[in-house]
Amino acid sequence: MTIRATVLGTLCRPSFVVAIAAVAVFVGPTSAHKAPHTPEQLKLYEDLLMEEVRKGDLLFHGDAATAKQMNVVLSTTGMACAMCHPMASDTHPQSYPKFQVETSKFATLRDMINWCIEKPNQGEKIEIDSEAMKALEAYIHWSNAGSVLVPGKH
Amino acid sequence: MSDELDRIRREMHAVLQQPGVRPDDSLQITRRTFIHRSLLFGAASVGQTFAWWPLLNTIDVAHAAEAPFKFAWISDTHLYERSLNTRFVDKVVRAVQEVQAMDPPADFLIFGGDLAQLGKIEELELGVELLKDLTIKKYYIPGEHDWYLDMGKKWGELFGQPNWTFDHKGVRFIGLDTVSRGPDYWTVKKMTPEERMGHMATLDGTVAGAWAGVGRDQLDWMQKTLADWDKSKPIVIFSHNPLYEYYPPWNFWVRDWREVNEVLKPYTKVTNIHGHVHQVLYNEIGSMRSIGMLATSWPWPYAPEGVPKLTKPMIRADPGDHYDGVGWETVNVNADDKVDVEYIMWGRKEVFVQSDPDSSLSQPEKLRPRMADNMWPY
Repeated sequence: MTIRATVLGTLCRPSFVVAIAAVAVFVGPTSAHKAPHTPEQLKLYEDLLMEEVRKGDLLFHGDAATAKQMNVVLSTTGMACAMCHPMASDTHPQSYPKFQVETSKFATLRDMINWCIEKPNQGEKIEIDSEAMKALEAYIHWSNAGSVLVPGKH
Repeated sequence: MSDELDRIRREMHAVLQQPGVRPDDSLQITRRTFIHRSLLFGAASVGQTFAWWPLLNTIDVAHAAEAPFKFAWISDTHLYERSLNTRFVDKVVRAVQEVQAMDPPADFLIFGGDLAQLGKIEELELGVELLKDLTIKKYYIPGEHDWYLDMGKKWGELFGQPNWTFDHKGVRFIGLDTVSRGPDYWTVKKMTPEERMGHMATLDGTVAGAWAGVGRDQLDWMQKTLADWDKSKPIVIFSHNPLYEYYPPWNFWVRDWREVNEVLKPYTKVTNIHGHVHQVLYNEIGSMRSIGMLATSWPWPYAPEGVPKLTKPMIRADPGDHYDGVGWETVNVNADDKVDVEYIMWGRKEVFVQSDPDSSLSQPEKLRPRMADNMWPY
């Protein structure tokens, strides 16, 4: 319980990384799949997701401090993702992977995120498995939760 | 959120959609604005029934024009400082050149708000500079992006009173300020002007709340303004926000739509032309028609719910072409006393979707409101 309280108390703070390390040591992953999940574990997993969603939400809405902290340049025009995609609308994460007309490739959501960063936003594309990419993906998926999976749909 | 929206919509329907009440029969639909024929005649419709409707070639806002005339509309330019974003500047320049080149010339221009992106003096002055090349008479109403850095101080210095009225060739025109009466969300939280503006400038923000409204004082002014106007004569009302409820989470409405309807109900030929939504929209509320206009800056997707059933959706824009999905409008009052709204969407001959994959509504969405802007420190 001490660990859980610590984690909850550190949400939204830089020391969150420490909490993640603590989770790795104390609650998994070696035992996580061998014993029934405890409510504390489930809450922790949810908190971990929501921290990624929070960071992704801020990046998606052009928060300069978060972009600086994560060392990314997602736009140089003043535009932010959310200006064309309020509430992550019209991102359709449920439709990936699919052939993407813009890139003439069979693409993932991450590919399209990078295309938007580079083209409309005139920013610098980010590593495909970077922390910023995972946060953006977490926010877009979370915001669109409830939509039906339709891979390939245009 | 959906349950609450459904409740509001049912209420609005009960209040506004009285049996048999529609805009005046003499109003038709322009060749550029389309309507679902089955709805015209009262057929039932459920959900997102934007199936591929028969097109009526004329919608119209009728009136007793003394002579044919046309005017132009530009809005939602969202200018940053020139050094930061030249694309938005280029598009304003193009719109201004095209309006200036109209032959015969437009009688006047309506600028429908959101000249600036963050309300900065430099942004507003850049807008004035760019629009200076347009020599016809110009009328301005404010958008929220123009207002909440200094609470309309600079905008007022440049453009004067935000609400106004004038008569032109048999039509009474009214400009409304639907942005300046937002509830105070900044004082208690000790926000800086920039922070206040930042929340207001985020369409899907949750902090600024239901800021769009006309206000009792302005409603009284509008009622007084219309008191001497024949109830069967045409009225065109310009507002930044739509005057009905479309999607409150993005302030695609005014919160006092009931009171607006009360004031306008006696008049049979009312047309509302609005910006803010950056998309093609058409709706009828009681005897009022409502037409949404394009931005020059960027298009917005349709909201996940609440798109008026009478709207024929615009085509999904190509995000790789910043001239796509945006543009300006001419409003042409012809010799038959009709007003023809024509969307000038750059790079497109066909403004409206012709098949399902060309519509942003082709994939139903269930969206959650954002959360990070309501966490610490707010």
